[in-house]
Amino acid sequence: MRLKGRHWMVIWLLIFLCVLVAITTRQTAGFRTARRVRELREERLALEARRADLERRIRVASSRQVLVPVAERLLGLHEPSDSEFVLFVLPASGPGKR
Amino acid sequence: MAKPAARIAVLQFGFAVAVVAVLGRAAQVQIIQRERWAGEAERQRTVRAVLPARRGAIYDRNGVPLAITQEFYHVGVAPNELEDIRTGFVLLVRSLGVSAPALDREFQARKRWIYHHGPFNATQVQPLRGVKGIHLDGDFRRFYPSRDLARPIIGGIDPDRSSGAAGLELSLDSILTGRPGEAVFLKDRAGRRYDSPSRVVREPVAGNDVVLTLDAELQEIAEQGLDDALGQLKAEGGDVVFLDPATGELLALASRQTAPGERPRASTFTDPFEPGSTAKLFTAAALLTHRRVDSTDAVFAENGHWEMPVNSAGRTRAIHDAHASKGKLTLAQAVRVSSNIAMAKFASRLKPEEQFEVLRDFGFGTPTAAEFPSESRGRLARPDRWQPMYTRTSMAMGYEIGVTPVQLAAAYAAIANGGVLLAPTLVKEVRDPAGTLLYRHRPEPVRRVISSEVAARLREFLREAVGEGGTGGRGQLSNYALLGKTGTAKRFAGGRYVEGEYTASFAALFPADHPQLAVIVKIDNPKGSYYGGLTAAPVTRTMLQQALASRRVAIDRGRFAARDSTPEEEPKSISAPAGKPAVVIPWPTRLDQPSVSPLPVPSVAGRTVREAALALHRRGFRVSLQGIGRVVRTQPEAGESARPGTSVVVYAE
Repeated sequence: MRLKGRHWMVIWLLIFLCVLVAITTRQTAGFRTARRVRELREERLALEARRADLERRIRVASSRQVLVPVAERLLGLHEPSDSEFVLFVLPASGPGKR
Repeated sequence: MAKPAARIAVLQFGFAVAVVAVLGRAAQVQIIQRERWAGEAERQRTVRAVLPARRGAIYDRNGVPLAITQEFYHVGVAPNELEDIRTGFVLLVRSLGVSAPALDREFQARKRWIYHHGPFNATQVQPLRGVKGIHLDGDFRRFYPSRDLARPIIGGIDPDRSSGAAGLELSLDSILTGRPGEAVFLKDRAGRRYDSPSRVVREPVAGNDVVLTLDAELQEIAEQGLDDALGQLKAEGGDVVFLDPATGELLALASRQTAPGERPRASTFTDPFEPGSTAKLFTAAALLTHRRVDSTDAVFAENGHWEMPVNSAGRTRAIHDAHASKGKLTLAQAVRVSSNIAMAKFASRLKPEEQFEVLRDFGFGTPTAAEFPSESRGRLARPDRWQPMYTRTSMAMGYEIGVTPVQLAAAYAAIANGGVLLAPTLVKEVRDPAGTLLYRHRPEPVRRVISSEVAARLREFLREAVGEGGTGGRGQLSNYALLGKTGTAKRFAGGRYVEGEYTASFAALFPADHPQLAVIVKIDNPKGSYYGGLTAAPVTRTMLQQALASRRVAIDRGRFAARDSTPEEEPKSISAPAGKPAVVIPWPTRLDQPSVSPLPVPSVAGRTVREAALALHRRGFRVSLQGIGRVVRTQPEAGESARPGTSVVVYAE
């Protein structure tokens, strides 16, 4: 069968539409990926901020400024003088030593 | 009417002309004017933006973050864009913690744009992301998780330029600052931006991370201890320095100013003070180095009051001892009881140049070259500017010389180190954003100041100064011995010494054998008991006890000797050959090794004495100055061979 002019027109139109769909799909996928990347980045930032905040609060709560007065007041503890603790020297380890 | 074929031909011709015109125009636009139209299209559809680079973090030596950079946000609200005003309102109040009545008033005023500067962190704004009508404007901000810990040392950021404005943030700015990136965003006709996968033209490169030598736990102990001491003593301020004598690493630096109107500053680096008796040890070092005294030499202590003859006309200068001594005192005893009179008498055996040279070699009068900006060089006048009969005596007692607490700590560390002065440092490591090590601090010897024998003698003096009968007994711990020297100096203000105002200080090396810490505690104008032995020494003891009790302070407890353990080997006579130094470093300890081959003395004629001394020190020679100014000649002469460690006399005019 010999293709007539209108057939060619339809074929070209279909090719054009296919290319158009391919370009649009690719661009849509690109935008979606970019949005997902941005969301993940924002999520990471939020988690990092949360971690930094928690670390700061832990550090403040475990600092000497907070902990020592609490230990003194609630538990009756005090800062030890050097005569109140004993340092144990661990035996050296390694080949030939126990 | 033309025939149909002719009409068709005309139409075809017209159509062909139109097609050719369109193709011609397309060729003109696409090929000839391509760049112009491509640029125009890009300007319409895209926008270029700078991607800020994250500034490097600052950590303490154990990885505790001291300064980090986080993304913070400013929030803008366009009420007419909100799909549900009520939901948006609740979301804003809950997430940002803004006042509900205040926000309600802004909504009621029918503002087109409501702006909350914040800044809000990423956690706070997370629920607001993607909400139509709420716009987030991100920005990097510096954040100091440990609040005020070591803040005068760390410094701060200039918010307008996002660069360092003070402290280490300023001096390490080029290391911490990253390289900004660049991105292209797509935009529509309304100016709305769209993310695009290929938007980043150049990725931003974060700045390098810096690991400081500071120990956050020890820093907290120092700051807390200083605060407590200033409160109890009602003092105007003070400083504390902890330094590792084996490496020159500064472990803690605390500064406080309590006078009204004074802003916090790193006075450990910036404020020189007259050290008083803590400087007596350096005159003792000069006397021992130049062999002007031996262990049996003694001078009469005048029972605590001496009218020192100043000139032949009978003019005198009154010198007092806080702790009057009867009879004669040796140099060791003079240091132990901190006798001004005995030290003044001993110092008269030194030439001004000799005294100056030793003080200069200990690092006084020159910046330590630690990484802190605006470090003071202190005050040390050249001998040709000394007042005859006055300055030499004053310097022997720790007056007419200004030292910073860091300089004093470095000088005492040199005594702990067998006589080698190390450059103090604040930077332990530099790492790139991926964690790759770019720099690690190694001990940097500046020079050998005194021989290891003299250093050992000085450590014995310090041991006696905190022992029985010494002025620093209250600094001594029960089970673990330290070495130390007290200082009490009248304060100099408004061109005169102020009666009743003192600077109390205590310099310590801990533990006594193989010291791991050099500690300086200085209290400005304490009320009541003002002697260093009664104020600064007990503060030092308390801090050391806390440091010992803390598991997080890096002290090698395994190397501790109990107080009743075998004392340090008795020092040999100073004329004996040099022994092995306490710390093994490539320079200048190798100078003591006999195998080192002779080197030619460099030509330094015409240079300043400072340049000459630097050149000679770099070759490993010791330097003895004769005169000030430009160098005329040296002995040995330039070009002659001498072993490294040989003392080269530099004659200047």
